Amino acid sequence: MVDATEHELVPEHHLVDEERLEEILDEYNIERTDLPKIKRLDPALRDVDAEAGDVIRIERDSRTTDTAIVYRLVIE
Amino acid sequence: MSIQTPKDISSIDFGLMDPETYRDMSITKVITADTYDDDGFPIDMGLMDPRLGVIDPGLECPTCGQRSGSCPGHFGHIELAAPVIHVGFSKRVRRLLRGTCRNCSKLLLTSEERGEFLDRLERTIELGDDQSDVMKAAIRQARKKDQCPHCGEKQFDIKHEKPTTYYEVQDVLTNEFPELIAAAMQGDAVRDEDPDDVDRDPMSPDELANETGIELSRINEILSGTFRPRPEDRKAIEKALSVDLTEEDMNKLMASDIRDWFESIPDEDLEVLGIDSDHSRPEWMILTVLPVPPVTARPSITLDNGQRSEDDLTHKLVDIIRINQRFMENREAGAPQLIIEDLWELLQYHVTTFMDNEISGTPPARHRSGRPLKTLSQRLKGKEGRFRGSLSGKRVNFSARTVISPDPTLSLNEVGVPDRVAEEMTQTMTVTDRNRSQAQQYVSNGPNTHPGANYVKRPDGRRLKVTEKNCEELAEKVEVGWEVNRHLVDGDIIIFNRQPSLHRMSIMAHEVVVMPYKTFRLNTTVCPPYNADFDGDEMNMHALQNEEARAEARVLMRVQEQILSPRFGENIIGAIQDHISGTYLLTHENPEFNETQALDLLRATRVDELPEPDRVDGDIEYWTGRTLFSELLPDGLNLEFTSATGDTVLIEDGELIEGTIDEDGVGAFGGTVVDTICKQYSTTRARMFINEVAALAMRAIMHFGFSIGIDDESIPGEARAEIDETIDNAYDRVEELIEIYENGDLESLPGRTVSETLEMKIMQALGKVRDTAGDIVSDYFGDDNPAVVMAQSGARGSMLNLTQMAGCVGQQAVRGERINRGYEDRTLSHYKPDDLGADAHGFVESSYRSGLSPREFFFHAVSGREGLVDTAVRTSKSGYLQRRLINALSELETQYDGTVRNTKDTIVQFEFGEDGTSPVKVSSDVDHEVDVAEIADGVLEAEFEDDGDTFLEQVRDETDTRTNLSERMDAITAQGDD
Repeated sequence: MVDATEHELVPEHHLVDEERLEEILDEYNIERTDLPKIKRLDPALRDVDAEAGDVIRIERDSRTTDTAIVYRLVIE
Repeated sequence: MSIQTPKDISSIDFGLMDPETYRDMSITKVITADTYDDDGFPIDMGLMDPRLGVIDPGLECPTCGQRSGSCPGHFGHIELAAPVIHVGFSKRVRRLLRGTCRNCSKLLLTSEERGEFLDRLERTIELGDDQSDVMKAAIRQARKKDQCPHCGEKQFDIKHEKPTTYYEVQDVLTNEFPELIAAAMQGDAVRDEDPDDVDRDPMSPDELANETGIELSRINEILSGTFRPRPEDRKAIEKALSVDLTEEDMNKLMASDIRDWFESIPDEDLEVLGIDSDHSRPEWMILTVLPVPPVTARPSITLDNGQRSEDDLTHKLVDIIRINQRFMENREAGAPQLIIEDLWELLQYHVTTFMDNEISGTPPARHRSGRPLKTLSQRLKGKEGRFRGSLSGKRVNFSARTVISPDPTLSLNEVGVPDRVAEEMTQTMTVTDRNRSQAQQYVSNGPNTHPGANYVKRPDGRRLKVTEKNCEELAEKVEVGWEVNRHLVDGDIIIFNRQPSLHRMSIMAHEVVVMPYKTFRLNTTVCPPYNADFDGDEMNMHALQNEEARAEARVLMRVQEQILSPRFGENIIGAIQDHISGTYLLTHENPEFNETQALDLLRATRVDELPEPDRVDGDIEYWTGRTLFSELLPDGLNLEFTSATGDTVLIEDGELIEGTIDEDGVGAFGGTVVDTICKQYSTTRARMFINEVAALAMRAIMHFGFSIGIDDESIPGEARAEIDETIDNAYDRVEELIEIYENGDLESLPGRTVSETLEMKIMQALGKVRDTAGDIVSDYFGDDNPAVVMAQSGARGSMLNLTQMAGCVGQQAVRGERINRGYEDRTLSHYKPDDLGADAHGFVESSYRSGLSPREFFFHAVSGREGLVDTAVRTSKSGYLQRRLINALSELETQYDGTVRNTKDTIVQFEFGEDGTSPVKVSSDVDHEVDVAEIADGVLEAEFEDDGDTFLEQVRDETDTRTNLSERMDAITAQGDD
């Protein structure tokens, strides 16, 4: 199988730890279910040991800003 | 009746309705299908019972005591003789039938499975996803069970025949069982088994009796067909003989059976499926009572001849009541089951079409005239339905529509409004001390003299119409506190729109200039945002009705605020067509003008004094085109860019030093000068600049004179000969290729067949002809040729257009290939079959000027038609795509924290566009990014060192406070501007 995470267009996915997550949720004043979602079996999460309910931090290249950071909630 | 006060809505529940609720809210039972008696009075307990509401003006409602207009109408009900299925829930009924036990009605899931789905449901609600997905999954799981896990009953497949018939598919003993058993006992193949594959030992009746444990006499009876084996015996025989004795049988489920089935589904099981049993018991999906809508929802109309014509819904209800009564009569008379079932089906049909008359598989109920009836769901659905037609969009007052025409003397912010429109549209002015005499003047002018008034409103709330007769008298009475509905006058702000409204700039606010005649007048520079032209286009105008709307329109929607397009962040308003030709002629060769000429060019601008002359010859002074253009530029503007013509444009401190001003300079869709002024100065300054460029350009083009005729595309004989030669060469080349191909010597390109390769090479050869012809043509046309001027400056047309006019039209194509369609093996009967030559496949060697031969003309029309079809298809496709996109995106909103969220407050983007920046606020120049550091320094300095005087002053200079004033005010305050 092709490892999608190796592809140059697939950005870095990292697990967010609970402490940092609290800060993020506080910053945006949201519940974690208000975040965009990502499937647990998403090919980009191959190397991330994520459970449903975890939050992933994605750091992608952006045309308008150098990097854009997006958080996603892992779902089944 | 007490006065009703407005109430707050705290929550809304959606659910099914209990038949008891129908009865409770009903004012009367409806039992007769007749509407009016012989004297024309409505019949009690009929469909037009007066208690259902009043529609005739003047009558009082016997139920609520209100009169027509304020009486909302009241529901009645029909007691259905037998239950019928509500079509709207036919899919849900099917799901529940499939997911629950036919005996005990419990959900066909084990308790572990139930727990799983309950968990999943909870999670789905938490995530805000679609609950019906869980229901579907649960039903899918339950359907797999052959037996009920609770009572052990065998389950059958449910077949749904649209719209409202359900069958249980059961296996029953086939009538051919004696023959099948006999054949199997002889070891033969039965039914459609392949005789070669059958490996069955013959068996005597004795053996069979032993094997199955059935008595021998019984076996013989079975074999003679006099006794039908019971299911357990059937299974034993099937097993012994390895034969299938069953056939599928459809057992129809009647609506009453389904209702009984659903009644005993436990509440806890419904919870698993996401159904709230308090609000929606599944048996309520099967109707036993039908609500009769109030007469206000189905008013009858009286025709001119005094006859009453009833609404479609009333017609449908009459049908329902008639069948309902027949059903009851037949049942009481003890009619055979077959007739009862037919009537039941008919009742079901009428109730179904009462709710939806466009169900596939069901013939629509028709009016006597043959027109399909418009029943409940047809009232709601589609473009003209209640949602899209009456709630999201409706007809509005204070609007006008007429043809548009150009007026270059208007500012781009303005719109010429015909006087007859201005007299119809009004603005409400509240009379104060300061405007009282003005208001009195309007009223005394009456409704038919232009700055007049149509209505006045006294402080006690009474509205009086101003007429020709009472206007003088009324004007005297106008006092402070009155309201006067005066005509539109110059400077009023209105909203102007052209459909299709595809982007923000399709609706903009303009200032009114009242004019004679019947058309709306526009400055030609606002054509691009509206995508308007003057070949008969019509536009809509809306007069704003309150101060808040007028203020918003002026600040946010005025044309000058829309100069920059959010689509690409550059200006969408600018010079077009002749404006561009004009500035090109003025600046390209930098011609000189004497004083009279120079003043004439600038007469429509604010410039009323000429600068220092560029050249003095004796006592005559001369100004160059660039100098005159520079007069329009703001001081301090510095720019360097490449023009569409190809030269470098250099602007230093508001002076055009060198270069041609053309489309890339001042054009709509990203003219650099306009874009820069808009961003570095203000929208007001940009508006002035565009207006003045347009005015100057028109004067310039009129000064030089600009026309195009047939002779401007003629080329000398030697050029024609040159082109003819290239064409001949190409023809030879094509012949040569065909010969190689026919000899089988053509080598195919990778990934293509030989004939494809040939086509490509021919296309290539012929394509080159047009290019060469283009080169030849442009060599013979001077830079002063009007078509060349337009093509170079970007005003209109291209060099390709010129080539086609003067040189050679070239290859015509359909779907990017040479024309290959028409007759068998040839395009037209003028050619031999399988002719691969250039002219047989649509090569047009003539020019538009010389005219096309009949065959060329035909091929040209073929590819021309393709273009038309493509545009027609594209517009409808993209229109629908746009509608879907808008519906999907309309609820997204950028919040104050910079995130983009939907109405559920879930995040879509963490920062608007990832950078939180508006495209129109970004510099279009890569080298001039916003200098954040300098601004920050300024703020700091302002805060701490010199009390910020210098910084604030600077800010004050840059802020244009005139923006929100009427353009007429600008003219006064703008005096002394640079």
